[in-house]
Amino acid sequence: MSKKKNFTSSNVEIRKKPLGMRIWNHRGFYLMFLPVLIYVLIVYYWPMLGIRYSFYDYTLKKMEFVGLKHFVSLFKDKDFWISFKNTLELSIIKLLLTTAASVIVSVFINEMANLFAKKTLQTIIYLPHFMSWTVTAAIFTLFLSTSSTGMVNETLKSWGLIQKSIDFLHETNLWRPVFYIVNLWKETGWGTVIFLATLSGINPELYEAADIDGASRMQKIWYVTVPALLNTIIVVLILNLAKVLNMFESVFVMYNSRVYDVADVISTYVYRKTFLTAIPNYGYTTAIGLFKSLVGGALVLLCNFASKKVRGRGIL
Amino acid sequence: MEKAKVVYKKPKTRIHVFDVVNYIVFILIALIIMLPLWKVLVDSFNAVGVYQFKLWPSQPTLDGYKTILTTAKLYRPFMNSLITTAIGTLLGLVMSTLGGYVLCQMELPGRELLVYFLLFTMIFSGGMIPEYLVMRQLHLTNNMWILVVKHGMNVYNLVLMRNFFEGIPASLFEAAKIDGCSPMGIFFKIVLPLSKAALASIGLMFAVTVWNDYSTVQIYISNRDQVNFQYILRVMVMDGDTPTTAYNVSQSTLYYAAIVMAILPFMLLYPFLQKYFVQGVNIGAVKE
Repeated sequence: MSKKKNFTSSNVEIRKKPLGMRIWNHRGFYLMFLPVLIYVLIVYYWPMLGIRYSFYDYTLKKMEFVGLKHFVSLFKDKDFWISFKNTLELSIIKLLLTTAASVIVSVFINEMANLFAKKTLQTIIYLPHFMSWTVTAAIFTLFLSTSSTGMVNETLKSWGLIQKSIDFLHETNLWRPVFYIVNLWKETGWGTVIFLATLSGINPELYEAADIDGASRMQKIWYVTVPALLNTIIVVLILNLAKVLNMFESVFVMYNSRVYDVADVISTYVYRKTFLTAIPNYGYTTAIGLFKSLVGGALVLLCNFASKKVRGRGIL
Repeated sequence: MEKAKVVYKKPKTRIHVFDVVNYIVFILIALIIMLPLWKVLVDSFNAVGVYQFKLWPSQPTLDGYKTILTTAKLYRPFMNSLITTAIGTLLGLVMSTLGGYVLCQMELPGRELLVYFLLFTMIFSGGMIPEYLVMRQLHLTNNMWILVVKHGMNVYNLVLMRNFFEGIPASLFEAAKIDGCSPMGIFFKIVLPLSKAALASIGLMFAVTVWNDYSTVQIYISNRDQVNFQYILRVMVMDGDTPTTAYNVSQSTLYYAAIVMAILPFMLLYPFLQKYFVQGVNIGAVKE
């Protein structure tokens, strides 16, 4: 207690010193922050100046001020709105599916009494999260391929379920289901980490009380475990809602020109408009990026606000 | 009496059935995750491509791996991946520890300003194209060091680091300061030695990010000498663009061997360091 008092009184003393002196006293810290400062300025802030290109026609040959032209054409660009809609649909459905799966899996892992089995299972289901999207996509591309070594097609054929190979990744109506399944395979396990942490914090007395009331196993899950998770579920949804527009690599490694209608998301659209076009107009694609940054930033702030309401601290 | 007996017995039999079903379901889940990986591993050692699931390779061979380790177009990207991952992780740790340490100095004038300076980057960004144009100006396109530059700084990890540092008792800092230790001295002699667990966790997060990154390479690099292994894997498997020297081995063997190589470093570390892999998520929660 006395120590704490000393600490605050010395604090007050420091506050009393003039600002210049306090800054001088902390010069070591500013020096240590300098590399971070320079780094962030170059890698994050310098590109922010580049948003001015969205008001220019910027190609290899010319740079010409065009005002709001790009934003006008952006709102008329049908492909852009398809990609915008796809981004929202893909990431929100993916988020709901993986969260639901993670919750169910963690509730039932929590019911396992054998600690060794529990640990082994956790080790296994966390594994795919650490594999890159490229690896995941490569594995599933090979399994789903229409060649003679494609496991899924050949197995279905040998069982007589299908006559002709199905090109899963090139069919407009099959691409999304495959995308969701791959996401479930890769991320469900990792999603359980946060829910299991919450579950380990449940007061065991709640279960004992339920036992005394004669609750069955399923009743205990439904009336004790699931309510305990509700808050965490909301937090997880909020945290992930903030980044719904960021979807890029997971789609990029799995899609192809035949499924653009159902798979093209904003970032992949920006990518192919810039790098797969003969004469790219950096101005236009910067404008798309700016639109995405603004909507995304608003989402982050909104989710930050919601998070403060729900759990008393923001996500920032 | 009779009634109480029935009530007591019933849940017991239910528990039994529940547990059996539960374990069966989880064995299935574990198999759904492991079987694809096992097939990848087995087929990487199998000289012929087969569609069936086999427990062991029918014609064992090491040709897939030999090809990768002897074809310059394949092993160079692997080396690029190793180098960029090592340097990127190191740089990432330096940045996040320095930044995190400074940000937990509560009496630092202008601390709030620095926090907002960093947090703003999480709300707004220039976007893919302006970032590309800046990196092109810095001559970092077509250069594998772009991977290090892109991932050497991560505000989220820096904040995690700060949260961890805040858990170190302030009395330790006070004592060192009284003993005449400089900020740098405190950082090296007290903060870092006490943060080994956080360094391991956050270091692994950086390493996984850099090693697994494919899109940065796709956007910034077209020179095949500078690409990383993820890029080569993608180009081989999805675009069917196999290096010409690799025709002495069956395609599927080579593809599956490449997949194994792309996961190998972390699969070797994972069983031993699982704690640190998972801990990263929870460091943020240490605060409060």
